[in-house]
Amino acid sequence: MNLGYLWGIFLGSLHAMVPITLTATGEVIGESSGLFNIGLEGIILLGAMTGALGAEVGGPIFGLLVGVVTGFAIGLVFGLVCTYFKGVQLIAGVGINLFAAGLVTFWLIDLGVPGHHAVAEKGQMVDISTPLGDFSPMILVALGLPVLIYFLLYRTKLGLKIRAVGENPQAADVAGIKIHLLRWLSTAAGASLAGLAGAYISIDWMGSVTKEISAGRGFIALATVVFSGLNPLLVLLGGFIFGFFDNLAVWVATMPAVQKVIPWQFVAMAPYVVTLLVVAGVIGRVRFPAAMGIPYERE
Amino acid sequence: MRGCSISKEESSLVEGKSDTILEGKGICKGFPGVWEHLILDHIDIDVRAGEIHTLLGENGAGKTVIANCLSGFYMLSEGQIYVKGKPVTLKSPRDGIRHGIGMVHQELALVKPFTVAENIALGLPTSDLTFPLPEVEDRVRELSEKYKLYIDPLARVEDLSAGEQQRAEIIKVLYHDPEILILDEPTSLISADAEHLFEALNSMAEMGYGILFITHKIKEALEIGNRVTVLRLGKSMGTRETAKTDKTELVKLMFGEHTPAHLERKPVGSKRVVLEVRNLEALAADEEPALQGVSFSIREGEILGFAGVSGNGQSELAEVITGLRRATKGEVIIHGKDYTNHNPRDIIRAGVSHVPEKRREVGVIEPMTVAENVVLKDIRVSPFSKGSFVNISRVTAHAKEIVSRFGALVSDLWKSQTRILSGGNIQRLILGRETWRMPKCIVAVYPTQGLDAKAIDHTWELFMRLREAGSSILIVSEDLDEIMALSDRIAVMSNGRIVGMFEGSKANREEIGLMIATGASGSEHSQ
Repeated sequence: MNLGYLWGIFLGSLHAMVPITLTATGEVIGESSGLFNIGLEGIILLGAMTGALGAEVGGPIFGLLVGVVTGFAIGLVFGLVCTYFKGVQLIAGVGINLFAAGLVTFWLIDLGVPGHHAVAEKGQMVDISTPLGDFSPMILVALGLPVLIYFLLYRTKLGLKIRAVGENPQAADVAGIKIHLLRWLSTAAGASLAGLAGAYISIDWMGSVTKEISAGRGFIALATVVFSGLNPLLVLLGGFIFGFFDNLAVWVATMPAVQKVIPWQFVAMAPYVVTLLVVAGVIGRVRFPAAMGIPYERE
Repeated sequence: MRGCSISKEESSLVEGKSDTILEGKGICKGFPGVWEHLILDHIDIDVRAGEIHTLLGENGAGKTVIANCLSGFYMLSEGQIYVKGKPVTLKSPRDGIRHGIGMVHQELALVKPFTVAENIALGLPTSDLTFPLPEVEDRVRELSEKYKLYIDPLARVEDLSAGEQQRAEIIKVLYHDPEILILDEPTSLISADAEHLFEALNSMAEMGYGILFITHKIKEALEIGNRVTVLRLGKSMGTRETAKTDKTELVKLMFGEHTPAHLERKPVGSKRVVLEVRNLEALAADEEPALQGVSFSIREGEILGFAGVSGNGQSELAEVITGLRRATKGEVIIHGKDYTNHNPRDIIRAGVSHVPEKRREVGVIEPMTVAENVVLKDIRVSPFSKGSFVNISRVTAHAKEIVSRFGALVSDLWKSQTRILSGGNIQRLILGRETWRMPKCIVAVYPTQGLDAKAIDHTWELFMRLREAGSSILIVSEDLDEIMALSDRIAVMSNGRIVGMFEGSKANREEIGLMIATGASGSEHSQ
């Protein structure tokens, strides 16, 4: 009985870590190249919306792809503003968040019920059933992708180039690397994973879209990136820690017995409090690319 | 090799072009913008296989700009580059590498947290999904051995010494099998270890490389290389064979004939004291005493020059007078009023201008635009602002006036950050800002350091004009010629004390020099 509970919490944590891990992994690519995207929250939200609608048209896999494309498209706009046009990254990112919050709110009204849209049955992702419990195939993606990205960043020449433009764009320029193009594509690739994360939340995990469905996971993903020090393998660990507390909040909400002891609102704070503590603990000890956040100019 | 002195036209005719591998003809590079100015003005330069060609010039002469043009980092405004006689257009450093031109930048283009091998792998044309590190490491060891530039390919750049980093940079460039190597001020980082570099360069020249070696040190230009081209203010002053030239000629080419303008000196009319310092004491940054009982006064229309090796309290003295450093004892009196330890704004209001020692850190706000910096001290008052509003057109007109009067080269008043200007141009802006109001008192610390001969003359004349207009001027300089030329009286500082005070007209160069060197006077102040 007790063991079953624990196993349930573990499985739940795995589901909750998926969006954080995916988003953070994407952001590791972007930040390695020197672009800091604070608009991940908005991209998750939009990905959840477009992904859900896509899934209702063409099935869950198609929905996930729509999420990826949504993220990539926004990433392209963000990247364009922040590279060739030398925009301020923080402002471009905040712009994405405001845009997404506004658009999704109106979109949900347009779909009928303000603030909520349940994804139709045919659009929902089916879990894999095993004797140990049901779990989403996306968990495998979330566990595998960081390893792949680690390999890309630290074991290929492309990875060297991405990290070089983030660290010393002048040197990269001298080496003949197209700084703006590489940063642009890196951040867009990263944003596409945030879009995927959003689509996963609506199509698979929650089965519905609400206007606050992203629930700060974009920001938690940013914290995870800080925690990882831009190492995708540590993103896995960070993603699980944050996923665990995220899930804990959901789990407590369904347990009247526990709620008698601690009001569920307190537990619902947990993911955010833990985020604060973890970031406060590691900040200053991790090293970020020297040129992060600074637009590149050749004089 | 051949008789007569060889000008650049002759040399290319006589030697023929068979072994010229890199040639720039009529190279011009200009800033776009209001003050159209050529940083490079029709420069001809050529590098032959197997020679070291030295490019010599002062700071700001345009040496680095030439290097950047020849390596593809900058586009030419005009002119043509030839590689082995064929005209080429270089749009990026990659184009340069493709044509066999390798450049070693002055500020090394290395990614600090990467290893040497990783830095090299970055620029390779191999596929992005490969990981060529093992081959790179082998090749680096091979090149290290061949050129005697020893370096560990697995070392992180940030852990290497300056000399090692430079070796890494050279190896990185050699990795691409260039035929031409451009080195921009390679000895600025490794002055102690230059011998080793020269050996390596000489052996590379013997192997048939064409090397363009950039320096501002005449000694190096005479020591290394077959030919030397001298650059002054963006113009080529001619090319000489190193063996057939000497220091005197190079100095003349580099600086021009510098006969200090004859400075008219009218007698000081007034006896009124503007700035008086009594028994001043202050601490340096390390809490050690920097000033010990310094007393002097400057009258209207008088220049008091402070001679001495820097670090003997001159900087601290200027800072205490301008309110940037606390005096622990003594008084600073301006126009009879006590201004000791007042804040800088009070002292500016009292009419004291400051040309600071640290131009970039103290003299300007680097990320701000030229116009903003020019009007920095006057922005609070009419006509530049009224109430809370800045009068942009008045500020623009004023900045334009200052910039053109002082001959600063800036591309745009409101767009270019002051950071991108050369030290000399920043100094012109500061001099303009500090003197246009004809201030009553000026504290100028190393005012002409790093300026070219013409600008030095202008600055000296400016100080003489201000003197005639009645300004009291305190000048700190390490250049005894400057002190002798300008000062009505000369103070020698040593260890935070004034150890000697001379009348300018009666000053004896040798006596002052000796006093600076020993920190004590022979007769007058024997304690």
